[in-house]
Order: sequence, then structure tokens, then C-alpha cells
Amino acid sequence: MGQIFPSSWNKLPLIAAIAVVLGPTLATAGVWYYFSPWYTDVGYSPVQPVPYSHRLHVGELGLDCRYCHASVETSNIANIPPTQTCMNCHLTVKKDSALLAPIRDSAQSGRPMHWIRVHKLPDYAYFTHRAHIGAGIGCVSCHGRIDQMERVTQMMPLSMGWCLDCHRNPTPNRRPVSEVTNMRWTPPRDVRVLAAQLGRPVNPPTECSGCHR
Amino acid sequence: MSREYWRSLAQIEDLPEYRAALEREFPEGASELPEGMTRREMMMLVGASLSLAGLTACRRPVEEIVPYVAPPEEVVPGVPRYYATTMPFRRSAYGLIVESHEGRPTKIEGNPAHPSTLGGSSTRVQASVLGLYDPDRSQSIRLKGARKSWNDFVMAWGELSKAHAADGGARLAVLSESFSSPTLARLASELRTRFPKLQWATYDAVSDENRLAGLRQVVGRDVDLMLRFDQAAVILCLDADPLLTDPETIRHARGFADGRRAGTTGGTMNRLYAVEGVYSLTGAMADHRLRLESRQIAAFTAALAARLGAPGTSGQVDVPGVDQRWLDAVAKDLLANRGKSLIIAGERQPAGVHAAVCALNAHLGNTGKTVSYRETKDAALSSLSSLTALVSAMNSGAVQTLMILGGNPVFDAPADLDFAMAMSKVPHTIALGHTVDETSSRAEWHIPHAHYLESWGDARAVGGTLSVVQPLILPLFGGRTPVEVLGLMVGDKDRPGYDIVRDTWKTILGAEFDSKWNRVLHDGLLAGSELTEVVPVVKGESFAELARATGSSSGLEIVFVPSPSLHDGRFANDAWLQELPDPLTKLTWDNPALVSPKTAEMLSVVNEDLVRLDYGGRSLELPVWILPGMADGVVALTLGYGRQRVGRIGAGVGFDTFKVRASKAPGFDSGVTLSKLGRKYPLSATQDHGSMEGRPIVRESTLTELRSPKEEEGERRSALGVFEEKPEHFSLWNPHTYDKGHQWGMTIDLNTCIGCNACMVACQSENNVPVVGKDQVSRQREMHWLRVDRYFSGEPSGNPEVVFQPVPCMQCEDAPCEQVCPVAATVHDGEGLNVMVYNRCIGTRYCSNNCPYKVRHFNFYNFTKDTPDILKLAMNPDVTVRSRGVMEKCSYCVQRINRAKIDTKLAGRELRDGDVRTACQQACPASAIEFGDIRDASSRVAKAKADPRNYALLEELNTKPRTTYLSKVRNPNPDLERATS
Repeated sequence: MGQIFPSSWNKLPLIAAIAVVLGPTLATAGVWYYFSPWYTDVGYSPVQPVPYSHRLHVGELGLDCRYCHASVETSNIANIPPTQTCMNCHLTVKKDSALLAPIRDSAQSGRPMHWIRVHKLPDYAYFTHRAHIGAGIGCVSCHGRIDQMERVTQMMPLSMGWCLDCHRNPTPNRRPVSEVTNMRWTPPRDVRVLAAQLGRPVNPPTECSGCHR
Repeated sequence: MSREYWRSLAQIEDLPEYRAALEREFPEGASELPEGMTRREMMMLVGASLSLAGLTACRRPVEEIVPYVAPPEEVVPGVPRYYATTMPFRRSAYGLIVESHEGRPTKIEGNPAHPSTLGGSSTRVQASVLGLYDPDRSQSIRLKGARKSWNDFVMAWGELSKAHAADGGARLAVLSESFSSPTLARLASELRTRFPKLQWATYDAVSDENRLAGLRQVVGRDVDLMLRFDQAAVILCLDADPLLTDPETIRHARGFADGRRAGTTGGTMNRLYAVEGVYSLTGAMADHRLRLESRQIAAFTAALAARLGAPGTSGQVDVPGVDQRWLDAVAKDLLANRGKSLIIAGERQPAGVHAAVCALNAHLGNTGKTVSYRETKDAALSSLSSLTALVSAMNSGAVQTLMILGGNPVFDAPADLDFAMAMSKVPHTIALGHTVDETSSRAEWHIPHAHYLESWGDARAVGGTLSVVQPLILPLFGGRTPVEVLGLMVGDKDRPGYDIVRDTWKTILGAEFDSKWNRVLHDGLLAGSELTEVVPVVKGESFAELARATGSSSGLEIVFVPSPSLHDGRFANDAWLQELPDPLTKLTWDNPALVSPKTAEMLSVVNEDLVRLDYGGRSLELPVWILPGMADGVVALTLGYGRQRVGRIGAGVGFDTFKVRASKAPGFDSGVTLSKLGRKYPLSATQDHGSMEGRPIVRESTLTELRSPKEEEGERRSALGVFEEKPEHFSLWNPHTYDKGHQWGMTIDLNTCIGCNACMVACQSENNVPVVGKDQVSRQREMHWLRVDRYFSGEPSGNPEVVFQPVPCMQCEDAPCEQVCPVAATVHDGEGLNVMVYNRCIGTRYCSNNCPYKVRHFNFYNFTKDTPDILKLAMNPDVTVRSRGVMEKCSYCVQRINRAKIDTKLAGRELRDGDVRTACQQACPASAIEFGDIRDASSRVAKAKADPRNYALLEELNTKPRTTYLSKVRNPNPDLERATS
């Protein structure tokens, strides 16, 4: 009686063993990455009705974040600027640019602009900008180098685990409150100097009730 | 001392059905859908589609941000602003502070500086914000049902006014609600100047007309009284409910609670006597309560006057059916407290009783001390006779044009006047109404009535304090105010209400108008505008009236009582108020006839039996509800229900008791018969929901027991109802430590809580608590995070006493709910809060099963799914709107805690006591709730917890609740001891 299985099949147990080990590992790793906000959310960069360039306005012209996002220090939300803020300059600067037509239309008609939200948290998460600014968390920590972005892109996953990483150990992300909007700030070499600049320690909540209500 | 407490008659009877219902956490069929499909079947059907649909959720929703074009000055998106305004209610004015988010008002609180609210509020104040966003409000001016514009009306009025000016307004009539407003009063007087022969009628369905008439008899001119409960040591209420249905409820509650509180801190505790037929909230708070029909009150007053030795009385008069010892003891107590006593007569009592009470208060030296009198300035006073005269003029064809300035006379005018019929005989009728209601739908012209939060106006509070009604928002539906309509009638010119009100105030404020005006708007009142007191000169004949006022006393007595929630029906489309359980009956969404157990036995009816009520040639079918503590032989009908044209919430809810209310006796009368129809009508009461099985839930003692000497510590503690021996606690769990940071805690003083439900509505408004409807309430699915339990004690067929107990989440340190949650959706935080994480909750309901306090509520449906868009504007943006399948419960207003913590952090200071106030605490007119950091020994809550009356609910379960109670203290008259029935 001839052999039913060719000799090459002798490798089968080995292959099977590798598959059993590798398969679930890859699947886990796949879910770990592809189902996480690092994959699903980071890099989200919707096209806006007006191609407003933060690289130009912030990076090159040096506008402070708070010129437009004026409520960031006092409110839970960092407001998107009203049309009027755009028109402060664009009444005279580039006043005939075709790209700015929607802004001019809005100012004229009184109909508001409809911008697309880039950084979105779930509705049950109550994030407050003012508390983070007060604690000396720089804009760049969550939003990335906005001053280098032609079109705003989400840089961080904004997931709860990511929030908690910082809430459990906020110091690496802290800076003097005066430097919060500075995109190019680097901490001083001397830790003692930094500690003096930061002032009293912050005590961010790590419990559900801190952000969910 | 041990007392038996019971929640309902069913509990006493302890029928098997009651036990079965009680022992289930969720009623039978709680998981069934109403269509008859079980949840299991449903899951099978939708299982497949769900698994496919789940994937679509992976797509990121595109969300827009829509900023302002030109931002309003001072509005910072995300930061609420607060404005002072005034809510006019009949002739009262509630000074308020309203929270506004980006221009939409969301939450109302009392203005601490205003004398009529003192920072507190009431159910109707709290719920009025929902009325603003009511989608069923009228949205346009109508001419015979066809949509018209305001300009059309202005033109039409121009024609009418020309015609009426010719004959001095002889064929023009105005019907208004009562008001107390300088601008309206000025316009009314200018209108009379323009049309000297104008007929003006003022009518409130529930009115203080009798009181004013009685005071007019004594004083000789129009004055009203102002009660100072805080100054009174002995209070006698004669068929009166100053603590709930009276318009001045907030101020009264604060004063009464202050007098109660004083007793537990070493001062004098007031003593409240109530004589009444219908169990009222005031009666529930009374130390001694006498059940007496309303028609006997006049005789009682006469007998009391004789015992008090009032001038003009002679000899000893007895009242049939009244224990003479009771009268003697009350008279003795009143006489012993001259200048510190207070007698109050109810609005429905005849003028003679009010005149006599005024004389008695003067005789006891209370005038100027516990009761003061002031002119009714800038007011239109309700007068039934003016309405009667108007109706007969209408019927005779003498009225060409009738302007109805608010109110709903077709619904609430006395049935014998048949206002609808009279209206049909008037060629031109113009009705200002919030909805196209019973009156507006019959009028030629209908004008939408602006909500007070949309109106410019002004008001004079009882006591005289002037304030401005300041709008928080432009009229959502183009409503107009009575000021604007009267302004048009006076000048034939369409002027904005703002200009008209400012015109009035220019004469009030004088020089430097703008800065003073801004000050009034900012403060919410004009400082120093109180009226001076009038001291009445009492003549002897005040008691002569009483004999005449005493009517026949045979047969059943019918009594009309305003609804604690809907009042006269004006709030019928307010879902929060409809679902609010009545303080005494705990009924929602209905108004059955209330009778005592003995009366029910006599009529052989039980709860929910439909009866036919015949009275004065009219009849009404409605169900019966047995309320222990009612006077035998009294049938109480609650007004305000049974509206037909009001909107999707209130239409057809309850029974229209105005149908049998006649002008000869709008308060009470004899000659009513009830006959059983043999049919049932289901009612939804919450009284047995969340029973705690006869364990020592509410505790009470008497003042004497409270003050018993310290030596007998054990005896004293047991007298207070606090555990004699602390149970030996032993926990299976590692104890949590709560020794860092803030540790939140709450106390609720059962001694000052009057059970008015203001906290419930405040909680609903602050925390976006949904309304579930009558059917769902009957399945025990009401969602109120805070409920007010009502316990009776004593003989059910006699005169049982009542204790109210608000029950929010206890925030147990060892919370039973947390230990059974399979998904850690309810966990503890380091500040002692038992927090609920909605997005983790999978709806097993184990937590609710394991909660000994029954404070968790499950969203059996997506109760907010069908919320009209406009009602979403009333939602608090700081609180998640929960969806189906999620458990929810009181959070100690964690959003307010977080806001205060961030505010103080940014301000660079420590959190102080009082920085965080929960919604219930802020609303409580009696200041019965304290909240704060229990680690801070100087905080008010820590001090309250150190009170010997402090006890925890079900302490023996070792849940270590953060919410604790201060036991109730009664102050019985030693001469009477426990109340006689």
C-alpha cells in the first residue's frame, strides 16, 4: 500500500503550530491597532469650506491662537471664530480672493459659516479647555503642530486611555501658562527652573466623575 | 416610642396583590413591550439586523461647527450667563435669577435679594422654563382661525377703536386676569380715560377676592396682608394652605421653616394648628390638625373669637362636632402668645371669616408683628361680580368688542355664567392666549401671549417691592404681552413693550434714569420700594358677619381646591408638573374626587371607582380616591385638569371640575351627591413605589423629648428615633478610605421639609430627567432622581399624621449597587460620589435590585427620542441626555461640583462652603437641604451631621450613606398632646 500523504506533509504539524501561535497574535495586534483611534481617528483631516491655513496664519504671520479662539481661557469650549473675526483683516487684506468668497458672503448675508469639526469627543465626555489652559497644558500637546498644518489634521487619538495617560502623570505636558499657545516652546534644561515656572502642582481627576456626568 | 408608618391604605390591608407588587423590584411585565411582544422575541427578530447595523457605527459622523457671524457682546460660548427677572403669578411677583446658555434660558432659581423668593423657588417657578419651549404654544395671530400678522391686527384695532371712541367706549369691554404691575395699571387707567364708559372686569378662577373683601370690610379700603411666619410662635390655619397653593408659598415656607429650625437650635419652635376639611400640605405640617368641613369654619371662628374674648362677642359658643377641649387649648395658646400668634383664613372662606380673622389678629396684638397690611397699589383685583356684570352685558348685546387680556374664561369661569355662550353674542372678541385654548378658539381674533421669559413688563410683589420682568429671549413664536396689547389700545400705536415699560419707570425712578434703570435690571428689584404699612382700625361688627356666613351643614360638602401643580389649569401643558406626584395623594396625571375612608365606606366606593357627581343641577363623572385625613363628608375636587384645548401634554388629562363650579359658591358648598357607576378608571399613584418594608425610615420626636435632660442619653436617643445601640458593623469588603480632598455629603432636615416637591422639579430641570407618561408611571417607571415619600401614621379612618421624606441617592460609601454591576458602570470616586457611567451600562438592572433605597431608575424606553427639537433647548448642556437601556440616578449634581472646582482652581483659591449647591438644595424654599464637604468641620453640612437628630437611612445595612436625615420634631400642645380627630 502506497503512502497516502506525501513526505512534504511532514511539515504540517510545524506549520499548524506556527499558525496557531501567529494567527491569534496577528488578529489581536490587528484589532489592537486598526480598531483603535490611533488608526480610525488620527489623521482625520476634513476639507473645510474655506481652505484656512494655520501654517500661514500661525506659522508665518504669527497670530496667537487666542486671537481667533478667544474663549479658550474662560470657557469649556475653544470657540471657532465668528465671521467677523476673519473680516477684521480681510476687509483690507486679500479682499478680492476667490477663496474667501464664502466668508464675505457670510458677513454680508448674516448666514453663519459651517465648519467641519476635526477634534471630536463623545457627547458624554465633558472636556474643558479652560481647566487645561489654567493647568499649563499647551495647545500643541493635544492638537499637534497646528502652525505647520495647511489643513488641520487630528494628531492624537483623543481616546480615554490617552487622556488618562496625561491625567495620571501631567508633568511632562505642563508648561508655564504664559507659554500655552507657544508652538515652539521647549522646557528649560534645568528641572528646578521648570518647577519654579510651573508653580503649584496640578491634581487632575482620574475618576469617572471628572469628565463624565 | 414606636410609631407605625404606612404609605397607603393598601399597605394596611396588606392584600396578597399588594405584597406581590411590593416584593418585585420591577413590576410584572416590566420587560415587556406594550404591543405584547416579549423582549425575548424582539431580541430574536432584531438580532441579525443589529449585528449588521453595528458595523455602520464605525463610520465617523461628520459634525459641523456653526459659529456666530457677529458675536453678541458679552456672550462667551460655553459660559452661562445669569439675568434677574420676575415671574408674575396672579398678584404675586417672584424675583428670579435665570441661567442662560448662548441666549436660551435653561434653569431658574430664586433671587436671594428679592423678598418674595429669598433665593428659593417652587414647583411652578422651576417648571415655567418648560412652558417657554412648549411646542404647542400658539404660533401666530389668527382671525377666525386663519393666520394673520400683527399688522393686520393693528389695522383691525384701528377701525374698532375709531368706532368705540365715538361713544366713549360704552360698547367696549376688557376682561383681564388680576395683576399687580405699575405699567399695566397705568395703561388701564389711560384706557379708562380714553374710553370713559369702558367696562373692565377682572377674574381669576382661584382668587383672593374673599380675603380682600373681608379686609375691605374692616379697613375700609383695598389692602392685602403679608404674613410673617418667622415672627409667629403660634399659627392657626383655618381651611388655609399658605405653604403650598397660596401664591406666596415660597416666602411662607421660608418663614415657617425658620420658625421650626429655631426650635431645634434652642430657640422657640412655632406651633402650627390646622383646621381643615381637605388634607393640605399645611395640614400635613401641623402639630395639631382638626378635621372640619369648610362650611363649619365660620362657626369655628365665632367660637374661637368668643374664647379669645374679642370685643363684640359674648358667651361661650360651641361648634357641633368639635371637641371643646381643642378649642379651649388653641384659644389658651393664642392668648398666651399675644403679638407672636397668627391666624390665617383660607382663600375659599367667605369674606366674613377673613374680616373676623383680621379683627382677631388685631385683638391678639399681631398686627404689625406677624401680619401686616399694605395697600394694593397698581393692582387689578379679581372680582367675580365684575365678571357676572360683564357676562350679563354680553348676553344683552351691550358689548360690541371684548378684549380678553390673558386667562381662559371659557374653561374656568363659573359654569352657570356660560361664558362661551355669552362670547358668541359679542361681534368682536379678541383673546390673548398662550395656546389656541378653549377661549381663543372661540374668539374672532387670537393673539399669542408671550411667555414671561420673553416679555418686558413689571410687577409689584406683595409688600410693594417693585421689579422688572426682563426678557431672556425674543418671543419664540411672535407672542405679544398684555402691556403691548394695552399699549396699542391706549394709543392706537404699535409700540414695543420695552418703551412702554420704560415710560412707566421714568416717573418711578426720576432723574439719572438710565443708571437707576440698569441697577433695577441688574438687581432684579428696586430697593426701598416697599409700601408703608396700613394699621387697620377694627370696628366691633366683624363677627356679625359670621353668623350669616355659616350655611347649612347637612349632606356631603363639595370643596374646590386648586391643583398644587396646575393651579387653575394654566400649567396643564407642562409635562413636569403633570407627572409631579401630588404631595398628599401621590397621584400623577389625574384629579379624582378625594374622600375620606369613612365617606368612601358610606358611599361604598373604593379607589378608582367611577362615580357620577351631581351638584347644583350639573353632573360630572370622575373617579374616586380615598385620602386618609380628609374630613368625613367632604368631597374635594381639584381644579385645573380636564383641559381640552391646551396641547399634546395636557389635553384630555383628568376631569374638568370647572363644569360643576358655580358662581354662587366657587369655594365650597353643600348639596352634592355621589352615585357609583360600577366602572373603574385607572389612576397612577406613586405612593407604594419604593416602599422600604416598615423599617425605621422616618423618625420623629417631640420638642419635649428633644429637650429632655442629657443624663438620660440612651432614652433620649431612642426618643429621637435614633438607634439605641449602634449595630455592630462588619464588612466583607476592604473599607474605603475617604480622608483626602473633598468628601461630599448631604443632610435633609425632615423637620423643615414641607414636602412641596420644588426639589423634584429643580432636579428634573437641572439633570434633564425625562417624563414618562401616566401609563409608564403606573408601571413604576417614573424617572425622578429625587422623590418625596409621604408616610402616614395613626388611625387611617381618623386623623393620621404625615411625614414627608425626600429621597435622593444616598451615595453610600459601601454602595450595594456597585458590588453587583458586572460592567463597573457604577463605581465610587475619591470624593465619596457613587457615580453612574452611562456609556458602560448594559442595563442588567442588578444595581437597582440591590439598592435598598430604590433610588435608581431605568430607561425602559428612549424617553427623549420623540422630544420635539424646541424642547431640547430646555436641556442642561452640562448633563448627558440618557438613552434607552441605561440606569440613572442622582449624581449630587456632579456637574455643579466640577464647575465650582474648576472655577476656584482658576481663581487660585480653595473651594469654600457654599460654592457648590445642588439643584434641590438651591430650590428648597425651606432650606431643608444642606450639601457640602463633610471633612470641613466648619461647613454647614458637617454641623448638621453633628446634630443629635442626625440619622442614616437603614443604617443597619452598613451602607454608610452620605445622605443623612435630621429627624422630625413635633411641637404638640401639652394641653392637647396627640391630635384628636
